[in-house]
Amino acid sequence: MGSLECLEEKYPIIDSEFRQFCASHNILSVEDFLMQDLYALNIVAEQRSNPEKLKLGITQILDVMNNQHQPWLNGQELLENALLNKQSLSVGCDRINALLQGGLRKGRLTELVGPSSSGKTQICFQAASYAATHGIANVMFIDTGNSFSPKRIAQFVNKMSNHVIDQESLRRIMNKIVCHSVYDILSLLDILHQLEINLKHQNDFQVMMLIVDSLSSLITPVLGADGAHGHALLVQVGFMLKKIAYEHNIAVLVTNHMVASEGGSLKPALGERWKSIPHVRLHLSRDSSNNTSWMSILGHPSVATGVAVEFEMMCS
Amino acid sequence: METTSLSTSWNQLSRFGSQTAWEMLEKEESSRRITTSCADLDKVVGGGFRCNQVTEVGGVAGIGKTQLGIQLAVNVQIPADCGGLEGKAVYIDTEGSFMLERVLQIAQACVEDLHSSHRKMTPADFLDNIFYFRVCSYAEQTAVINYLETFVADHKDVKVVIIDSIAFHFRYHFDDMPLRTRLLGEIALKLMKLAQKFSLAVVLTNQVINKFADGSFHLTLALGDSWSHACTERIILFWKGSERYAYIDKSPSVRSASVSYCVTERGIRNSSSNCKLVKMM
Repeated sequence: MGSLECLEEKYPIIDSEFRQFCASHNILSVEDFLMQDLYALNIVAEQRSNPEKLKLGITQILDVMNNQHQPWLNGQELLENALLNKQSLSVGCDRINALLQGGLRKGRLTELVGPSSSGKTQICFQAASYAATHGIANVMFIDTGNSFSPKRIAQFVNKMSNHVIDQESLRRIMNKIVCHSVYDILSLLDILHQLEINLKHQNDFQVMMLIVDSLSSLITPVLGADGAHGHALLVQVGFMLKKIAYEHNIAVLVTNHMVASEGGSLKPALGERWKSIPHVRLHLSRDSSNNTSWMSILGHPSVATGVAVEFEMMCS
Repeated sequence: METTSLSTSWNQLSRFGSQTAWEMLEKEESSRRITTSCADLDKVVGGGFRCNQVTEVGGVAGIGKTQLGIQLAVNVQIPADCGGLEGKAVYIDTEGSFMLERVLQIAQACVEDLHSSHRKMTPADFLDNIFYFRVCSYAEQTAVINYLETFVADHKDVKVVIIDSIAFHFRYHFDDMPLRTRLLGEIALKLMKLAQKFSLAVVLTNQVINKFADGSFHLTLALGDSWSHACTERIILFWKGSERYAYIDKSPSVRSASVSYCVTERGIRNSSSNCKLVKMM
């Protein structure tokens, strides 16, 4: 919501005369209007020379504001929306899909937490490759550790397509995955903001999956530096990701690394304050001696915590 | 048609430096890598040390971390017509372990191996192209890493930045551990950005420590679990009997593998029976 001036084009009743009246009460923007005692304002308006017109203007602005909030939905409509727009995207591994009841759900924020070299990035590659191979829209990959390996993506794409693919289809598929390098949290917010604008205003621009690998490394330099500042940024990024996921039907996947806690055991780097933000939290671990990995549920809306699955990472 | 309209949408995001996976694949396939002079080691890391990424090399004292660092500082200068990058090197020495005589020896051996080149390089040329920074405290180290972006912008032919070692000044005299984590996190991202922006290789060496966990001591890299995420690729150097081995501990693009190598007078080379050295005590 902006200044009253920009409303004039659409609602001619909010003309300069009306705005002058408002300005005399320190009302310059729509927000200012919300903070006013409207009853008192109506009384003042009646004492002016043209009370009817001023009152109409006030009603008009209230009307505009009432239309600002999202419409309400009932459960049936929510379910229809979920079935229509919030499908699951396969991660290209049957066992993980079974664990997650289909895969990464559009509209949800999924977090992958695990120690170094536990295979977080590989799961991201795999999910991105499968989505690009079998889906229509694009995949956006935000890389903070220069670990995006196009060669590995090409390997996954080759493995996941049902038939041998030629160079031209490989090019077409790989052009659907777009990678951005980001090295600080403010740039991430910037890029998410730009993404939101593009999604809103361009109908030909579609994204089905957004990956941030890793979110925790962007937060580490600002966490605990000066009070709650880092936490505020973290929560802001979390909510922005969830908003984008819900409004544009995107499956969002972020990774989080692990650090030692006081007792010597490992805990997620993004801690208590982050914990409640993602819809789905998954823990990843790997036994490097025999190439087996485990994924277990730390939090999920409809799967019990602690359920785990063993799987093998796809090799080259 | 479809692809053109797509690419215009992406273009609006491209001021953030976005690229599609296909563009990156083409770029990667055409980019050269820095050879280690050990063909076996080159093979397991996918053809040599890659630009655009941060590689961490860890191992016990005397295993050859500094030797590998010096070898890379020399090899990055191999002329383009011999398959090299023809770049320059930045060497940040935090421990004072940079040995000039060794650089000269390795450069000499490199010159001899390049005899086919029509443009003759001398060992002195190699020394000329190594920019050496000596660092004596963690504050100095943080400062020089901050300065690197400016320095490399002025010296665009720098293709490798070696920090030997990243850990030294951060291991002792540090009471404020959260501050250490923040500083290191910041350093990690700065180096990542440097590697990507100037498409150069960043190579960090790290020390090993004895860590007590699950009721026993075992060796692990210094600087903690948070730091372990700070590199793109990690190579652990270790002894197996009297032979030196390199192990790919973390990599987004190649699978874990180990390979033997040896340190000779001429530098890092393939391990063969006649060059097994007696382990120094």
